[in-house]
Amino acid sequence: MIENDNKLTPIIELNGITKEYCAKATFFSKGYTSVMALDNINLAIQKGDIFGLVGQSGSGKTTLGRLLLKLESPTKGIMKFNGKSINDLKGKGLKTYRSKVQMIFQDPYQSLNPHLSIAETILEPLIVNKIGDHNSRKEKAIETLDTVGLTPGKEYYDRYPHQLSGGQRQRVAIARAIVLDPEFIVADEPTSMLDATIAIQLFKLLQQIKEKYNMTFFFITHNLAAAKYLCNKIAVIHNGIIVENGPSDQVIQHPEHPYTKQLIQAQPKLNF
Amino acid sequence: MAKNHYLERFQKGWKIFILNPLGKTGIILLIIFMLMAISSFFIPLLDPMYDPMTGIDPLIKESMPPSFQHWLGTDNVGRDLFAQLMEGAKVAFIVGLASAFVSIVLGTIIGMISGYVGGITDRILMRAADIIMIMPSLVVLLILASLFGQFNIWIIVFIIAIMRWPAVSRVIRSQALSLKSRPFIEASKVAGASDIRIIFRHILPNVLPLAFLYMTFRVTSAILVEAALSFLGFGDPSQVSWGMMLQWVWKSGHMFQAPYWLLPPGICISLLTLSFYLLGRAMDEVLDPRLRKEEERK
Ligand SMILES: Nc1ncnc2c1ncn2[C@@H]1O[C@H](COP(=O)(O)OP(=O)(O)O)[C@@H](O)[C@H]1O
Ligand SMILES: [Mg+2]
Repeated sequence: MIENDNKLTPIIELNGITKEYCAKATFFSKGYTSVMALDNINLAIQKGDIFGLVGQSGSGKTTLGRLLLKLESPTKGIMKFNGKSINDLKGKGLKTYRSKVQMIFQDPYQSLNPHLSIAETILEPLIVNKIGDHNSRKEKAIETLDTVGLTPGKEYYDRYPHQLSGGQRQRVAIARAIVLDPEFIVADEPTSMLDATIAIQLFKLLQQIKEKYNMTFFFITHNLAAAKYLCNKIAVIHNGIIVENGPSDQVIQHPEHPYTKQLIQAQPKLNF
Repeated sequence: MAKNHYLERFQKGWKIFILNPLGKTGIILLIIFMLMAISSFFIPLLDPMYDPMTGIDPLIKESMPPSFQHWLGTDNVGRDLFAQLMEGAKVAFIVGLASAFVSIVLGTIIGMISGYVGGITDRILMRAADIIMIMPSLVVLLILASLFGQFNIWIIVFIIAIMRWPAVSRVIRSQALSLKSRPFIEASKVAGASDIRIIFRHILPNVLPLAFLYMTFRVTSAILVEAALSFLGFGDPSQVSWGMMLQWVWKSGHMFQAPYWLLPPGICISLLTLSFYLLGRAMDEVLDPRLRKEEERK
C-alpha cells in the first residue's frame, strides 16, 4: 500500500494550508480578533480513497471542505489537484475544476432550492456545463436517480423537495453531486441531520457509488464510528490542527495522540 | 411541470388570503373599481355627450347636481361627472399598476444584484438608492413640472417609478443577502452556474412573493402621488383623473358649492388606495414566516 502511494500522484494534496478568519474591530476591542480555523494542514488523498476527516464541532472540518471546493481561499498554503495547483483558478479553469469536484452538503433541508423540481436540480450541472442535449440529459438524470436509490427515477423526476423526506432529499443531493461523473466528492457530514437507520443506508449508497464509479471521497464527520465503518484512511482534526493521520485500522487500534484516544473512549460503540 | 408547482403554491396562498377579512374586503373593493374602470370604455359609446373629456351637454351652461341624465351631475362646462369618475378609475389603475410594476422590476433586479454581488457594486447601488429615497417624490415632481411645464401622464408614471424603487431594492437586497449563503446557492455555484443564472434561477423565485407584496404598496403610493400632483395643477391636462377632477372643482370655485362634484373623486381615491393596502396586508399574512414554515414542513 505505502509503496503504491509513493508512486502515484495524490488526487488531492494540501501543503501548509492555513485559514484565518478576521473579525472586524468592534467598538470594544481595538485591532482585530482572528479565528484560526485551519492551521498548517498537510494531507494527501489518493485516488480511490474514502478519506475520513473526524473532529468535533467547530474544529474546522467544513472550512477545509469549502476550501477544496474553492468556495473560500486559504490564507496560506498550496492546494493541488492531480499534481496541479488550484490556488489561483478562475473563470474557465475554475469551472472545469468544479465539474470534477463536487460537494454533498450537511443539511438536505437547506441544500435544495424549494422552488426547483428534482429534475431541475439534477439537470442544472449538466445544463451549465453544456453536456448532452435535452433528451440525453433527461435520460442521465433518471438513471442517476435510479443509482441513488430513488427508484423508479421517473416517479421522482417531477417532484419538489417538500414532497420528500430528509433521507430522500439527501439522495437527491447525492444525485446532483455525481451526475457530472466527478473524480472527487466532498461529503460534509451528510447524515448528521438524519436518523441512524437512514444514515447507514446512505453510507451503503456512498460505498456502492465509490465502487461503481471509482470516485474518491472526502468524508467529513464528527462520528469516529461512521468514519471507521466507511473510510480506509482517517485524519483527526482538533482546533484546526491535524493531530492524527493514517489508515483507519491503525488510527483506531493504535491511536497516538491523546485527543484521538479521548475520542475513541467517548465512543465505545465503534461497530455498526 | 413548473407551472403546476407555482399553481399549487398560489392556491395554498389564495386559501389563506381569501379567508382573511382584510383580503376579502380588499378584493371586493378592487372588483368594484375594476368594473368601474371597464365601464369607462363603454359609457362614451352611449352618446358622445358622455365622453369624459370632450363630451359637453349642449343644454347645460353651469355645474348641475345629479339628475336622471347625469347621475352624478355635471361640471361647470356641462361634462358628465359619472363618466369622469369611471374614466378616473381606469387612469388610477393604469398609473398605479404601471408605475408600481416598473419600480418593482427595477427594485427587484437592483436589490438582487446588490445583495448577491456585494462589495463595491453593492455600495454604489445602495448609495444611489439612499439618495433617491430621501427625496420626497411629490416635491421632486413639482420642481420638475415647474421647470419643464406640464408632463404627459406616461412621463409622470415613469418618474414616480424611478422615485420609488429604492425601498423595494433595500428589502430585496436583504433577502438576497440571506439567500446568498444558503447551501443551495453554493451547491449551484459548485455545479458551475454563472452569477446571472444564480440570480435569476435561484434567488428570483425566492424573492418574488416579497416583490409582489411591495407591488401592492407601490400601487397605493403611485395613485396618491399622481392625485396630489393633478390636484395641485401639475397633472396631464389632457387626461381626466380623480386628482384632475378635484383640481377642476377647486379652480372653478365649486369647492364648497358642489359636494356631488367634490366628494366622489375624493372617496374613490381613498377607497382604491385602501383596497390595495388591504391586499398588501393580507398578502403579508400569507407570507408570514411561521405560516410558510408550516407549508415547508408538510
Ligand atoms: N465565515 C466565517 N467567519 C468567521 N469565522 C468562521 C467562518 N466560518 C467558520 N468560522 C470559524 O472557524 C471555525 C471552524 O468552523 P467550521 O469549519 O465550520 O467547523 P466544523 O465544520 O468542524 O464544525 C469555527 O471556530 C468557526 O467559528
Ligand atoms: Mg461543519
